[in-house]
Amino acid sequence: MVFLTLSCLIRSRGPDRYWKVQELLKNARHFRGRKNRCYTLAVRAVRRAFVYATKGRVLKRHNMRTLWISRIAAATREHNMKYPTLIHNLGKTSIELNRRMLSELAITEPRTFLSLAKVAQARREEGFRAALGDGKEPAGVFSRVVVTH
Amino acid sequence: MSNFSRSAQQWATFARSWFLIDARMQPPGKIATMCAVRLKGKHKPIYHALSDCGDHVVVMNTRHIAFSGNKWEQKVYSSHGGYPGTFKQVTAAQLHHKDPKAELPEDILANLTEELPQPRDIPRTLSQYTQEEKDAFPRLWT
Repeated sequence: MVFLTLSCLIRSRGPDRYWKVQELLKNARHFRGRKNRCYTLAVRAVRRAFVYATKGRVLKRHNMRTLWISRIAAATREHNMKYPTLIHNLGKTSIELNRRMLSELAITEPRTFLSLAKVAQARREEGFRAALGDGKEPAGVFSRVVVTH
Repeated sequence: MSNFSRSAQQWATFARSWFLIDARMQPPGKIATMCAVRLKGKHKPIYHALSDCGDHVVVMNTRHIAFSGNKWEQKVYSSHGGYPGTFKQVTAAQLHHKDPKAELPEDILANLTEELPQPRDIPRTLSQYTQEEKDAFPRLWT
């Protein structure tokens, strides 16, 4: 823009108010009521929405993990075992599958999950034998950990 | 299962089963937890709160439910109507007295997928023991 006098320049407002308003309103288009049209109301609603989105990113990770855990627990109970024993014994055999992969295996690869449950059960029984037995029997196959970091 | 179409696989995965629990001589709390787990669908690895994945549970012989200890006289079920004077406290014995006895209709029996194992083993009554077992049992005095 060209201003012919200094006072015109000083008194002028920004040239792009329309686009700045639209940039904010595009985040509010799916809201209910006047919040999706009127700038003053939309500003507050959009700020709250962004705050909730920020908090939600932490909650999403939390919720996904609890969902995976409940799914793994359901699948292990089908094989007459409990979730804590599965996780503990898989850790002792250094099978480092995270809960996301375990839940996906439980849904899409049931036989693989059954074999994992059996490995955990075998390691658990070896642990019982080591704790309760005489110490003369050798440690079982799954107790001999191959790789430790 | 590899020759299922996508919709048929979805239908089979989210199908609702019918479970039967015989509650004769069982603790009602354990029966209730078993029922609740299956009604919500938490016994399935495809569980999600928003997907309608629960199953049906039929509980029979609720008339013969067995509380342990003195709970028939001591356990109290309380309810409040929201208005003054509507606080009711009912012992378990009185609540059970109101339970109706119902037969299992045939169409439910036809659709049952599975009968669940009872949580508590029912002890045998004295008349169900054989005479040899009764004689073999050690006596302190004759």
